[in-house]
Amino acid sequence: MVEFILGLVVALAVYSLRSGDLLHGVLALSGLSLLCAMLFFLFEAPDVAITEAAVGAGVSTVVYVWAIKATERKDKAQ
Amino acid sequence: MLDATQWFIVACAALALVKLVFGSGAAERLIALNVLSALALAFLVIKGVDEGRAIYLDVALVYDIFGFLGLLAVARFLRDKPMDDDKE
Repeated sequence: MVEFILGLVVALAVYSLRSGDLLHGVLALSGLSLLCAMLFFLFEAPDVAITEAAVGAGVSTVVYVWAIKATERKDKAQ
Repeated sequence: MLDATQWFIVACAALALVKLVFGSGAAERLIALNVLSALALAFLVIKGVDEGRAIYLDVALVYDIFGFLGLLAVARFLRDKPMDDDKE
């Protein structure tokens, strides 16, 4: 099960790097941190999983969306 | 039985993740992320019951609260800025 979830994490990371729309990248990053929290949970580290769930899924998504709202949504490099 | 349930939930999470990557528009991806977080909640609770330790349920609780905050932020963003992602 761990290898399968790691494959999903890699797929989400590649997509969030390659997507031209920054909001879609932020949504993929939120899913990635969720899967990372599940991985920490499977490795029997529930305290690390709590921190990853709080910071990765909640706060970082809010901060990224706030930053996108203040700037541009499209990635100009692509 | 619990092990088979965990595998089933992970397979459902993989399907929701396909929708998260290849969906059309931000709202559809947001719904996919919502489904993914609900599946993760079920997975964490079942794993906690399987292991028999109460601290594992705290992870599910904290993720449910903070994941909702993230979804709320994206939903407010979609309200403030009109949908321009369908015409790519």
